[in-house]
Amino acid sequence: MQLDLRVTAVGVVSPIGQGKAEFTRALLAGESAFGELKRPGRQRESRFLGAELGPLTAPTLSHHGLRGASLSAQAAAAVLDEVWREARLDEVAPERVGLVIGGSNVQQRELVLLQERHRERPDYLRPTYAMSFLDTDLCGFCTAHFGIRGPAFTVGGASASGQLAIAQAAAAVRAKQVDVCIALGALMDLSYWECYGFRAIGAMGSDRFAEQPDLACRPFDQRRDGFLFGESCAAIVLEAAAPRPRAGLEPYASLRGGGVVSDANRNANPSVEGERRAIAEALATSGWRAEQVDYLNPHGSGSPIGDATELEAIKTSGLRAAYLNTTKSLLGHGLSAAGLVEVAATLLQMRVGRLHPSRNLEEPIDEGLNWVRAASVEHRVRRALTLSFGFSGINTALCWESLS
Amino acid sequence: MTTKEDILQLICRHTQEVVPHLANHQFCESDQLALLGATSIDRAEIVIMVQESLRLSIPRVELFGPRNIGELASLFFAKIHAA
Repeated sequence: MQLDLRVTAVGVVSPIGQGKAEFTRALLAGESAFGELKRPGRQRESRFLGAELGPLTAPTLSHHGLRGASLSAQAAAAVLDEVWREARLDEVAPERVGLVIGGSNVQQRELVLLQERHRERPDYLRPTYAMSFLDTDLCGFCTAHFGIRGPAFTVGGASASGQLAIAQAAAAVRAKQVDVCIALGALMDLSYWECYGFRAIGAMGSDRFAEQPDLACRPFDQRRDGFLFGESCAAIVLEAAAPRPRAGLEPYASLRGGGVVSDANRNANPSVEGERRAIAEALATSGWRAEQVDYLNPHGSGSPIGDATELEAIKTSGLRAAYLNTTKSLLGHGLSAAGLVEVAATLLQMRVGRLHPSRNLEEPIDEGLNWVRAASVEHRVRRALTLSFGFSGINTALCWESLS
Repeated sequence: MTTKEDILQLICRHTQEVVPHLANHQFCESDQLALLGATSIDRAEIVIMVQESLRLSIPRVELFGPRNIGELASLFFAKIHAA
């Protein structure tokens, strides 16, 4: 008998809202915040578009405690603060709490700024660079701040990192390594170098809407021309359903199953077959039939080939009946954070019984699917499927079941 | 001209940046950074920050000698005037 894994907390920061209350409101209102990227280290003779976070507002983050913390570390601490309080993790033995952070090479912009600052005098480089350049500095920063003493590590799965972190967190609870495991999708802090790279490979838009940032992010629309970057970070708390749960917990959903598969492919191109296998594995481990899925949160980055490939996988997996919308149309693509932010969006929509609108979905590349378009839709989700895919042939799918 | 007192002030300022709980500490020359709660990495950070502020570059081995911030200031002062 498989362990019944429950989500007991959700935390999120995004360009359209920080904290789940504000985030949910903005999602359902279909808000977005696209424009030219402004953070230092994001442009160099360029006009890359995307969406950036406002100043972080988490209440317990003291200025002093944040010294030397990268933007990714600060965003991680903000979402951890939110889930920590909601899941009442002070009541759990610190040795029984784990942390899995999804993402690799997430602090690129800060590293570029630091290297530029010390280019002429590398001997003045701060000694802390030896620790802080590693993504695991996020683990150190977060475990020190919250007193976590179970396993804490990062997992890299490109744009599927967030969902991969959830799969690893679930495995840690199932293996009884910990009682509670936090899965966190790290804020991917791109520098202009990665933006140039994503543009060069044809993954990042927008040529077509360079002068109209509001229109540039349009997953699954005929006129899409690539993803827009969006800073974000999210976390969830996973634990086994307990006979006597901690007082005050209100679980969001059960994680019923999942699939993580590779395409045996070093390249960036997606695979219908690989995506279908991940979906099939997720459905099989959940004991679901495809037609029982009534909400689908797709990967849909806005890539010309990626979106079409994904719809093919969805249709040929028997998922035509499910509602689907595109969270990236509102937030942009969080890369390492995307999977977790979209799971957070899914869980929050399940809680309120309403599906958020999709922006710029004017002419879907397939009209035959059950899209949530410009207006939100009231819908009590029973069974949700979330998809995330990454470069190097990484495909993930997770199944979430309502508790009501 | 940079005096030893200037250098001491600089050490104190950078120490407070790295170890925030010393924000209100009244420093004296006999203060030892380790006893004030600065870890070995904090101390390395402070020493690099002071060197950058003074545009000095001192071999690490020479920095093992000083036993307190007064002696550290004296070492930096001697290096400036030897340059």
